[in-house]
Amino acid sequence: MNHYIVFVKKELLEYARTYKLLVMTVVFVIFGITNPLIAKLTPELISSFVPEGMTITIPEPSALDAWAQFFKNSQQVGLIVLVLVFSGVLSSEVAKGTLINLLTKGLSRQAVILAKYSAMALVWSWSVVISALLTWVYTVYLFPVDPLSNLVFSIFCLWLFGGFLLAVLLLGATLVRSNYGSLLVTGAGVLILTVLNVIPQAGKYNPTALVTKSMDLVAGTIGLPPLYASLGITAAATLALIGLAVLVFSKKQL
Amino acid sequence: MSILEIQDLQLRFGDNQVLNGLNMTVPEHAVFGFVGRNGAGKTTTMRIVLGLLKAQGGTVTVCGERVRYGAAKTNRHIGFLPDVPEFYGYMRPLEYLKLCGEIAGLPPQSIRRKSEELLELVGLDAANRRISGFSRGMKQRLGIAQALLNEPRLLICDEPTSALDPIGRKQVLDILSAIRGQTTVVFSTHILSDVERICDRIAVLEQGRLVLSGTLAEIQKQHRRNSFSIRFAEDHEARKFSQLEELNKPGIELSLQDQVLTIVIEGEAAAGRLLIDLLSREKIAPEKFEAIEPTLESLFAEVVQ
Repeated sequence: MNHYIVFVKKELLEYARTYKLLVMTVVFVIFGITNPLIAKLTPELISSFVPEGMTITIPEPSALDAWAQFFKNSQQVGLIVLVLVFSGVLSSEVAKGTLINLLTKGLSRQAVILAKYSAMALVWSWSVVISALLTWVYTVYLFPVDPLSNLVFSIFCLWLFGGFLLAVLLLGATLVRSNYGSLLVTGAGVLILTVLNVIPQAGKYNPTALVTKSMDLVAGTIGLPPLYASLGITAAATLALIGLAVLVFSKKQL
Repeated sequence: MSILEIQDLQLRFGDNQVLNGLNMTVPEHAVFGFVGRNGAGKTTTMRIVLGLLKAQGGTVTVCGERVRYGAAKTNRHIGFLPDVPEFYGYMRPLEYLKLCGEIAGLPPQSIRRKSEELLELVGLDAANRRISGFSRGMKQRLGIAQALLNEPRLLICDEPTSALDPIGRKQVLDILSAIRGQTTVVFSTHILSDVERICDRIAVLEQGRLVLSGTLAEIQKQHRRNSFSIRFAEDHEARKFSQLEELNKPGIELSLQDQVLTIVIEGEAAAGRLLIDLLSREKIAPEKFEAIEPTLESLFAEVVQ
């Protein structure tokens, strides 16, 4: 337990001083501020390009459009940035040998994996929260109050999916030695999950449902129950992946 | 009592028998030079002692406790300096030592006190900046500080001087000399002058076994081959002496070069006296009379052939 706390602190210091935290914060703050702005300005931009005499009816932008931007940005660029920033989090330490020194002092390998996961998850949580808060503030400021449903739940789903990806990334890092190994494993994992969606019945169990159904949730076209299966499976898979990463790393010759 | 005991250690990587029945004992308070060619298995041995690598046979005991692969409880007795120590470049020396101390489970106050002491010992007390800007020598010295943090009974250094410039080497050797008496030091190297300077015991590893071990004086005594060199003042004295009947018999090798005669006498314990007697009988006062000590280098070359 003591090693775990010591190592979480070390990881957070590392993220702060090696700009990982800064990159994540900047990206998600920019998203937070621009999500509502883009939603607000898009119709005006389009109408300024439309030639005179032609009329197209563009629906008045709403808070729903701002949140659509939020989910689109977080799920595409946001998750990619997350995975890229943390791709070398274990492999670079193993390759450089910085970890060996601490392991010979009795640092438990289990603590290393758990602390690394926790610290990454903490940064991810911070990024999601700051981005969502900023989006919320600007949306309230720019748009009339819209009835939005399940917003918090939908953001929670996004957060959980990010946590799941981090677990895949970490397991990848224990399996493959190079920095790119963990990226490759994560990419392959997402690809497989996406392909699995081809099977009609697989969709509702698939973790990807957590990020593909976001706007349906917020618009209120679906309720929470259809996502319960996927939610449970993703949470269980995340825990299993972390457990597996601990096992693999304990047996690894360094 | 011996701090480190290695018995019949076996390790094979594929077809390559790296360690083949290695036996080695390091007594307490020794400065132990572990010598061998590149690739002789020095680093491998150290990694087994640290529990980082699994041996296929044999036992390793540190302070009376057996070393087990993976869960190396014995590491609490050991401080380790890897050959090229790597630290977190974004930390400052004190921060790094704090991290090490917390992992080793030392109380916070003693971490602080001990860190400052050690940084002073290794001459880094003024270097309060990030480790990424450190030279190799500075990293090596920080490596010694972190290895000594938990006051280990055994300090293991893997080629601590190989990559350093002469000044850096001298600094590291001075530090290792300075801690003599407080802790037992085992260090591997292939730089023999370093060994001669600070070690009191050496062991030479070759083909997975020790081919030479003991205190430096013992080894030199064992391998002294009654060799002498005599420099004469005059050419004719040299010629006359080298033609003496007593010296021209089997078992004695002579070689005369200018006025220097080198004599190797096999198996004769009183060889030196014999030569002096002859000199005095012939009434020759040489300019120089010397018993040739084997150099560590010649011994090393001899045993690793």
